[in-house]
Amino acid sequence: MTPVDYLQFVLAPQVVNGLALGVAVVLVALGLTIIFGMLDVINMSHGEFYAIGAYAALALGAAGIGFWFLLVLVPVLMIPLGMAAERLLIRPVFDTRDRHVTTLLVTFGLGLIVEDVLKIVFGANTQRPPTPIPGATEIFGIILPNYRIFLILVGAAIVLGVAFVVYKTRLGAMVRAAAFDRNMAASLGVPVSLVYAGTFAFGVSLAGLAGVLLAPIYSVFPTMGRDFILLAFTVVIVGGMGSIWGAVVAGLLLTQVQALASLVISPVWTDPIVFGTMVAFLVFRPQGLFGRLGHA
Amino acid sequence: MHDRLTQSMRASHLLALLFVLAALGLAAMGAATGDTFYLRLGTEALIFAGLALSVDLLLGYSGALSLGQALYFGIGAYVSALTLMKLPSFWLAMGAAFLATLIAAVIGGLIANRVRGVYFALITFGLAQVMAKVVYNTRELGASDGMIGIPVIEIGLGPFTVSAGSPVGFFLIVLAIIMALYALTAYLLDTPFGRVLTALKANEKRVPFLGYSVWRARMAAYVLAGVIAGLSGALYPMLRGFVSPELMFFATSGNAVISVVLGGVGTLIGAIYGSVLLVILKSIIGSWTEHHLIVIGLLFMLCVMFLPKGLVGVVRPAIETWLSRRRPAAVAMAAPADLPAIVAETARTSP
Repeated sequence: MTPVDYLQFVLAPQVVNGLALGVAVVLVALGLTIIFGMLDVINMSHGEFYAIGAYAALALGAAGIGFWFLLVLVPVLMIPLGMAAERLLIRPVFDTRDRHVTTLLVTFGLGLIVEDVLKIVFGANTQRPPTPIPGATEIFGIILPNYRIFLILVGAAIVLGVAFVVYKTRLGAMVRAAAFDRNMAASLGVPVSLVYAGTFAFGVSLAGLAGVLLAPIYSVFPTMGRDFILLAFTVVIVGGMGSIWGAVVAGLLLTQVQALASLVISPVWTDPIVFGTMVAFLVFRPQGLFGRLGHA
Repeated sequence: MHDRLTQSMRASHLLALLFVLAALGLAAMGAATGDTFYLRLGTEALIFAGLALSVDLLLGYSGALSLGQALYFGIGAYVSALTLMKLPSFWLAMGAAFLATLIAAVIGGLIANRVRGVYFALITFGLAQVMAKVVYNTRELGASDGMIGIPVIEIGLGPFTVSAGSPVGFFLIVLAIIMALYALTAYLLDTPFGRVLTALKANEKRVPFLGYSVWRARMAAYVLAGVIAGLSGALYPMLRGFVSPELMFFATSGNAVISVVLGGVGTLIGAIYGSVLLVILKSIIGSWTEHHLIVIGLLFMLCVMFLPKGLVGVVRPAIETWLSRRRPAAVAMAAPADLPAIVAETARTSP
């Protein structure tokens, strides 16, 4: 195999696949990092909300609702779910002295329950909805599945949209103000508890959206959240908890590490390498690449 | 008047005594009826109780949530299994597991203790995941299948020998070891070292002003917890005759955390009761549905939200009152001017 062939048929497709996975991970990590940056709460059940989104897409898709409509419908349906979770589980323990540990444990429990409920309702088998955009396109001699190209573009659009809302709009300013100083924001008329619930719900809804987008590529099964959340947590840690740009950079970086490691070394060693990177990052730069959302 | 830590530990010791009596009862019943299933299950519950004990030492006393404590449990189990396959000696296996987890916990502690809070939880999670995957991929360690065919050993106890294959005998040995680990931990927590840990949990910023090294106390607790988990893990292959990478995965660490929360965070004996409770719950619920996670998850969430001291927190205050009424003569001074304890007290009473 000539170097050009290697580049065209092995390396480049792997890099693009890594990019698609990177966008997927960034989408899941985005909600996680927003919830952490804003509420200072770790949502261990985030992966299960991602799974709920994927199953909702599967069930509603089977009921005849088109993929394009699902992209809007599922995130909207996730909002009351996220609101309820925040009101019932997060808020009662939000002001305990050990907020981090307590909320982490509560959401861990929620994750256990959701996973089992999904198993009961949908069965334990792996399912896969049909790809909404079939076919492949050749770009510079590299053959790329259309859906992956679509995923990369949509993912980029979502990240930019979220960043725009958070950093450039009045709503985003309110959210950041509430994250920075709850009492000061409240005294300036920001409805803080609504902002908190809304932010949590928004993060959950992003996880659901990721579920809809990723179901056609990565299949749907009850423990899918658990498998994905590891990577998402890694991304959030390496990027700096609560930083949107940190999640983007770290997500793309780590998935390239993963894609290239699986090519150069062996697919079975990718997880240790990726988590090893996370551990190394935490050792040398515990605060991550970028700062916090409310403190930027 | 004893200070609060001593008083609550006395109540825990009483609960520990009750636990041992109940366990001896189970052993006697098992021996009489020849029913080995429950004894084997009880032994496994006790082994995992050791893991829960190590989680509680970290979470309940230094305030550090470890989501990867199964790492040391797994290392202990694998080292014990490897030793037993070369040389079937109980004490050698325990010694090797002790050394291996000591070294691993020092390394892990150097990494994990650089960070606090949520980061600590996630880095311990990451460390365990890395090692679990490494073991999962290493063919010499049996890869994903684990290792089977670990010989049934004879455990020499001075003039006696007990076979690990004997349900009653091995149950009693595991009971003795886990309760010894409990006693050791409880003893250490009652020394100045334990008070520093308590103070650390209450207010980490004030501890250095009293002249104590935060880092050293954290390291000591982490290494001690690692060794406790490792020694418990070392017992596992003796019971089941195999080890598998599942022992290191998140589910194992998660179960230990669930046990601690159910039993009562920061009570030590709660971890042991919680572990047994979890096994009982799983087998009862498992007898009518395979979806036991819903019930356990729900109980777990309710405990976190409404019973921060778990089940032991429900019964222990009554025992404490009873104990303090029973000995009104013990109004003598507690340990003279125990500064960390005072820090802990003031921090606990002030909101």
